[in-house]
Amino acid sequence: MNLDEALQTFIAESRELLEEMENALLNVDLAGDQSEAINAIFRAAHTIKGSSGLFSLDHIVAFTHVVESLLDKVRDGSITLNDEMVVLLLSCCDYLSGMVDGLAAGQLEQDPDTAPEGEMLQQQLRRHMDGDAAPAAAAIPALHAEPSVERIDTERGDSDYWHISLRFGRVVLQNGMDPIAFLRYLAKLGRIVGIATVPDAIPPAEEMDAELCYLGFEIAFDSTADREAIAGVFEFVQEDCEIRIIPPHSKVSEYVNLIRALPEQAARLGEILVRCGSVTQQELDGALHQQSHKEEDAPAQQLGSILVGAGNVPPVVVEAALAKQKQVSEQKAQESRSIRVDSDKLDKLIDLVGELIIAGARANMIGQHIQNTELLECTSTLTGLVEDVRDAALELRMVKIGATFNRFQRVVHDVARELGKDIGLIVDGEDSELDKTVVEKIGDPLMHLVRNAMDHGIEPAEVRVAAGKSAKGMIKLNAFHESGSIVIEVSDDGGGLRKEKILAKAVERGLVDPERKLTDSEIYNLIFEAGFSTAEKITNLSGRGVGMDVVKRNIQALRGSVDVSSREGQGTTVTVRLPLTLAIIDGFLVQVGSSVFVVPLDMIEECIEYATEPGQDYTNLRGQVLPLVRLREQFRIGGTATRRESIVVLKFGNHRAGMVVDTLLGEFQTVIKPLSPMFSEVKCISGSTILGSGEVALILDVAALMHTVGGKGAVAQAA
Amino acid sequence: MSAANDANVVTYGSSAIVALQSGAALPSQFLTFMLGEEQYAVGILHIKEIIEYGSLATVPMMPDCVRGVINLRGAVVPVMDLSARFGRAQSTIGKRSCIVIVETEAGDGESKQVLGMLVDAVNAVVEIAAADIEPAPSFGTRIRPDFIAGMGKHNGRFVILLEIGRVLSSEEIVEMARGSAAVA
Repeated sequence: MNLDEALQTFIAESRELLEEMENALLNVDLAGDQSEAINAIFRAAHTIKGSSGLFSLDHIVAFTHVVESLLDKVRDGSITLNDEMVVLLLSCCDYLSGMVDGLAAGQLEQDPDTAPEGEMLQQQLRRHMDGDAAPAAAAIPALHAEPSVERIDTERGDSDYWHISLRFGRVVLQNGMDPIAFLRYLAKLGRIVGIATVPDAIPPAEEMDAELCYLGFEIAFDSTADREAIAGVFEFVQEDCEIRIIPPHSKVSEYVNLIRALPEQAARLGEILVRCGSVTQQELDGALHQQSHKEEDAPAQQLGSILVGAGNVPPVVVEAALAKQKQVSEQKAQESRSIRVDSDKLDKLIDLVGELIIAGARANMIGQHIQNTELLECTSTLTGLVEDVRDAALELRMVKIGATFNRFQRVVHDVARELGKDIGLIVDGEDSELDKTVVEKIGDPLMHLVRNAMDHGIEPAEVRVAAGKSAKGMIKLNAFHESGSIVIEVSDDGGGLRKEKILAKAVERGLVDPERKLTDSEIYNLIFEAGFSTAEKITNLSGRGVGMDVVKRNIQALRGSVDVSSREGQGTTVTVRLPLTLAIIDGFLVQVGSSVFVVPLDMIEECIEYATEPGQDYTNLRGQVLPLVRLREQFRIGGTATRRESIVVLKFGNHRAGMVVDTLLGEFQTVIKPLSPMFSEVKCISGSTILGSGEVALILDVAALMHTVGGKGAVAQAA
Repeated sequence: MSAANDANVVTYGSSAIVALQSGAALPSQFLTFMLGEEQYAVGILHIKEIIEYGSLATVPMMPDCVRGVINLRGAVVPVMDLSARFGRAQSTIGKRSCIVIVETEAGDGESKQVLGMLVDAVNAVVEIAAADIEPAPSFGTRIRPDFIAGMGKHNGRFVILLEIGRVLSSEEIVEMARGSAAVA
């Protein structure tokens, strides 16, 4: 594999891991049981360290090493995780993502600007570690000095201990793995009865590479843990290392096999085994003798079958081993079930499917034309299938909203801290799926909404308590599908919106006429007007009066809508409604002259017959004035109007207008095709699509059209 | 299209090779086509395909030289009216009207852009040696001098070799569209 490619994979993977780590960190203080979260955090840090070692990204390795050491201590219980540490680890996460971002930008070395920050974090990390937290590298020589681990063969005999034979791969240190950490962790599962270091592989000093690991260990281990758990200890290194685990009460012959399989001299190994207490000398001698006989009898037989056949291995062990194997293969199957695909390839597929639909429609038309029932039957089946293919292809672009929601855990955590409020986040409907492009674009608007809810919505704790609510505020994110669109709700249980205040402010700002009677929902929606902010105090989170109208505009740019409802004293809910995909639009086809236009269906209120007040460009729609846009004039399309023109009543925000067109052609669901940048100046057209007949139709941008027409009116007035 | 080819077997002169190596290399094969009574040519390496004139959707509020957009096997491709681009009347669609699909580099030099050119008729692919290409005169042609890459000699006549990147420059079209929008 190209190293560059591998590096890209590393960057993507690290980002995912950091995200995981962050989530796990945020969940630690929620859940009482920490072990799972801590394991997840450790795993993430560990994998990043390992992989960055592969690319010799020393600054990342060095930093993650310190993080990992602390986590290791947390994992083995010598330090308990506290709030302060979570915050520190979160900053470490940020720092790491900074480094990964730097890496993505082509920066392979430590950025001198951020180095002091990293230094500071490392110091803090070290402070959290115990006094004996000497660098792990220094701990290896110390091992021999530790009397509790150096085996003195007092306990010998029936070998009701596990025997673990470890030969670490040469590269484990380079991969960022620390052999001693595994042994320490192993000691958590039981008691290391005896351990013997096998230094035989160490070459003469001049040939030795200090960065390679030459050591092996033979360990007698007393534990009630099953084989799987013991093997799990070495999960991270099992690919590089030779690990053999012999369960308690195994036949001595198994040890013999072990001795044969290992590269060291048999006699020496036997001695080691005896020394660490797994077998006795007599047992060994007997077995060596016996084994050589057996080999003569059945040389071709596999060791496993001999053992099982002879009933030497307890069935539980076999089962455990099988279960482990099965688990591994299931894991592999899980991995291969999801693949990363370049989104360009998906777009290409969707393009092709769009073509297929058009081709199918043509075939259908021809079938109708020549009135061949067989052909028609065939094409209708085909059309059905192709539509299924299209839906399946579009579904490929669908992703769950959960990842976006989970990012807010961190935001809520940080912002709550900043504001000095106690705020929790409840997330619901994470499994709702929507198009990847939509997911990418709603992050910012949602961020505004959540911050706003935290800053303005949730009251300070004392006010909450006084109002009889719990001191802890709650923000809720909810997502669900509703009639072809996705609805995202951001709600808080805060003070709610104050109608009078909003109205007063809006009047003061000249946004509404004081004489006008507004409904509650109209008043609430005033908060989305430009330049509206009711917060007396401007904080750095919100309150500059740009937030909400930007939110509204961004959401409308995604062909979505936003609405707010509120109950004073009980909270506010902002409802965002978005199309499931940006690639497909529910449109309504209209024709002017020979041009066909698509109007987004959700912008259309109704269609009425053409009628106008004489000499004016407005009509009377049930007692209301409806200004008209004549598409033919607006777009300078030649030709004269048909005898029966129609008016399409468009609704955009609080504006309503009629669009005069020649013919109404009906509803049409269609794939959106981008237009060449050449047409960027044509503001009223947002894209194009291909009709069943193969012709191109342009999609009208109703908002821009209204804006153009409205702007002109203003100019005319001024002149 | 290949009818005229056999008559034009050209062996490369050393000057052509020098021209090719010096980086000023012009492709030696050109597609010639007609706009009204005039013959123009475009380097064949720019050309993707030639299609019949078919259903075309007009885009409102665009200058005359943008005829509209067509559906090219699922991609929506803008079509330029070359005649209008050269400041003349729009082409009238006849039996031999064709859309030549070309690929040009966009202004940033990275992304390729696919465009259609509406022409009155397509003639042939001809080979013109670099030695037979003269620089464009600074005046005397009826089209903007910067549209001309050179004057090719072919069968004793001059044919204008178009600088396709300039002719189909989308930045310029955007400018024109902005201008016409402001007027309206």
